[in-house]
Amino acid sequence: MTGHAARAAVRVPRDLAAGIFLVVLALGAWLATTDLAMTEGGGQPGPGLVPRSVALLLGGFGMLVAALGLFDRDTRIAGLAWRGPIFVLGSVVAFAASIRTLGLAFAGPIAVLVSALADREQRLGEIVPYALVLTALCVGLFKYVLRLPIPLAPLVLGY
Amino acid sequence: MELFDHILLGFSVALGLKNLGLCLLGCLIGTLIGVLPGVGPVATISMLLPITFGIDPVGALIMLAGIYYGAQYGGSTTAILVNIPGEATSVVTALDGFQMARQGRAGAALGIAAIGSFIAGTFATVLIALLAVPMARLALLFKPADYFALMVLGLMLAVVLARGSVPKALAMILAGVLLSTVGRDLETGEERLTFGWGEIDDGIDFAVIAMGVFGFAEILRNLATPEARDVVRGQIGRLLPSWAEFRQSLMPILRGTGLGSFLGILPGNGAVLAPFASYSVEKKLADDPARFGQGAIEGVAGPESANNAGAQTAFIPLLTLGIPPNAVMALMVGAMTIHNLVPGPEIMTKQPRLFWGMIASMWIGNLMLVVINLPMIGLWVRLLKVPYRLLFPTIVLFCCIGIYSVNNNPVDVYLTAAFALLGYVLILLEFEPAPMLLGFVLGRLLEEKLRQALAISQGSLWTFWDHRIAAVMLALAALAIVVVALPRIRRGREQAFVE
Repeated sequence: MTGHAARAAVRVPRDLAAGIFLVVLALGAWLATTDLAMTEGGGQPGPGLVPRSVALLLGGFGMLVAALGLFDRDTRIAGLAWRGPIFVLGSVVAFAASIRTLGLAFAGPIAVLVSALADREQRLGEIVPYALVLTALCVGLFKYVLRLPIPLAPLVLGY
Repeated sequence: MELFDHILLGFSVALGLKNLGLCLLGCLIGTLIGVLPGVGPVATISMLLPITFGIDPVGALIMLAGIYYGAQYGGSTTAILVNIPGEATSVVTALDGFQMARQGRAGAALGIAAIGSFIAGTFATVLIALLAVPMARLALLFKPADYFALMVLGLMLAVVLARGSVPKALAMILAGVLLSTVGRDLETGEERLTFGWGEIDDGIDFAVIAMGVFGFAEILRNLATPEARDVVRGQIGRLLPSWAEFRQSLMPILRGTGLGSFLGILPGNGAVLAPFASYSVEKKLADDPARFGQGAIEGVAGPESANNAGAQTAFIPLLTLGIPPNAVMALMVGAMTIHNLVPGPEIMTKQPRLFWGMIASMWIGNLMLVVINLPMIGLWVRLLKVPYRLLFPTIVLFCCIGIYSVNNNPVDVYLTAAFALLGYVLILLEFEPAPMLLGFVLGRLLEEKLRQALAISQGSLWTFWDHRIAAVMLALAALAIVVVALPRIRRGREQAFVE
């Protein structure tokens, strides 16, 4: 029963979902800008003018898209693939978390290996050496050729 | 002769050893990217932005431009040899190009694509040089109200001339403008939409959005839809088309060049739209339309010239009006901003070396691409065999390093991950991300001009009526939207993109 309900939740018509997404976005922006004045004394435009009117328009388009979506109930959202987003985004977050502390020498292979998990057909004997060689190339290119101030391995080398 | 002096100045800059080298490097990287399916020019340019930090602005822009049109060349190679368009601009090329390859005429297809592209590139370069001065002069006459209206018109045309749902694209523009308002207000210093988070006080970095929504989200999309590659195994054949084939292609090349140059200047992605237009024109004009789809050389020559011309003339609105007509040009704005350059009519007078040097290097780049690419075709074919499972972790690492280097701040990397997630949601809901990027890039200028215009008129919206240029442009913008909403036109538009 619950399984059935869960599947039905994903099978919302695509454009209806898209419209609702826009309305939520617009509503959030509208509520977050309540303290910004749209106009100031003498009819002069204020800091809230553009964000607030854009939020209004966005909400309007959201409703339009949702309404059009009601006519097209057959176009559903394509299946949610979770593997790609989890590992690719996970690798980016892992890189961000480790670049300052561990440096590129470690953050590089971490990013490559974590993101590589997004593909089921990855071969361990291939991707591990590849991650190391690629990191070495990146260190050479960014650290030495382009002289970007990226930490290399602060814990080991001190820079 | 003023034009002549300008062109001489341009060549004196572009032919410097360093700039020549950067142009070559850009063309090679661009071709590489273009050849690899699933790696688009937008992702590449945002990925490689940090590499240009250490280079002077002229060199940096020459290299980025090289990547851009190199990708157009590379994209057609993949279309012809693998039947997968390396870039969106070479979708049409795959139709007849791949058929030619299967008949053992791959070389002729590649050759005519390169020759057509070169002719188109040459023409477009001359056109840019000719139009630049008058257009920039015109732009200097514009008042804030006119400028605002021009940007609105540009954005509307960009939506109408691109594929996909119009209301959804308009919503994406608005979302982009909304994102551009995040950060401290330039006039009052009030925090806007920052939710009290100090890291985004100065606004969200352009590279963060571009790489998140284009770079990473593109990977997620590719991972969700595995592709089958089908590299032509047979002979590539001789690279030069025969005299008969060339004669057959000459008129399609010229027509494609004209179409592409025109569509490229208009906002919207001329380089994507033009090859479709050219293909249907050639099919209509042909004595025997049935040959199309069976390896007609005109079906390669016309569209390939059209996409290259369109890709080049897209620089005209960017360099003269400061308005990027498509997502790649929006990235060029980002690149120029990083180098403290403000694109727009002043760039030509304040930075003549940059401006004319870049134009001259476009022509040189086109020449390089013909000379380099054809003999190196074997290398590019071998590159096609690099599996995606190795390619995408490489892109991830490059993007991470690139984003971190923009401000040497890990927070930017986290933010990029958040925008990648947003980009993935947008893909699932079938929103095109390109209009959002355009809205974001133009957002600040749009707001600045709107507020200037309203400050002058003391808040009265009639100012857009009183400035006749503004009124005409806003009316055209409204007309474009109304026309595209008409059922008959809408059906025609859908068909144009399906074919």
